[in-house]
Amino acid sequence: MDVQNLTYALTQVVHNFGAATVVGAAVFARWPQPLSPEIRRILAWLALTGWMAQAASGAGFGAISIAFYGRPPDIHGIAVAALLVKVACAIAGFLLAAAYLRFSAGWTDGGRNRAWNGLIALGATALTAAAFLRWFS
Amino acid sequence: MKERTLYTLFVALLLGVSAPAFAAPAMVTINSPAEGAKLDAMAQNKISYEVVPGPNGDHVHLYVDGKEMAVLRQLKGTYTMDTLAAGNREICIKVVEKNHTPIGVEKCVKVTVQ
Repeated sequence: MDVQNLTYALTQVVHNFGAATVVGAAVFARWPQPLSPEIRRILAWLALTGWMAQAASGAGFGAISIAFYGRPPDIHGIAVAALLVKVACAIAGFLLAAAYLRFSAGWTDGGRNRAWNGLIALGATALTAAAFLRWFS
Repeated sequence: MKERTLYTLFVALLLGVSAPAFAAPAMVTINSPAEGAKLDAMAQNKISYEVVPGPNGDHVHLYVDGKEMAVLRQLKGTYTMDTLAAGNREICIKVVEKNHTPIGVEKCVKVTVQ
């Protein structure tokens, strides 16, 4: 088994589960039925952890390239734009989930729902950008 | 029975670990344009190439004067480049791994576009 492929594969596992978590937690917080604040708080922690996993594993892909070849991946054009979108989504998703955990007790129901809608949008945008990063690289 | 299973696992692991070592080394060949060739600035010039990705390579990137122009997933073929500005140009093909990182195997030709 090739060590390089193994490290990429394990990083991809974290990245994939991170993607599933950020979208799944946010969607489940909104549908199919209203959830208690306690359950939603657990989901917010999941979303926060998911975005951290996304950021760490995304950086991990670059780190593996540098470890094996001394340089980051060579991407350009649409792929670079897609990567920047993903990074922006990860930062915004992390901050929004953290803000939810810290301040949502003082928010209205409408405000909380808007936060979850924002997390859904960020997750969906990141997943869409990932497809463009994959195939325009 | 247990020993036989362990032996089978050991052989499978050995083969799995060493398989990349038996792959042919990475190599790039640019069939055309040739080194020093003169290209037409008004034409859509083609580059013909063959690549052996080696144990770590996956596909190749095409560069003109160090700027990435295309991702080529075919290991052997012809690619039609965008029109090139007049002057001396360096066209390179680099083998990259699955994460698009150049593995250090490349071939370049210098051409004159006029």
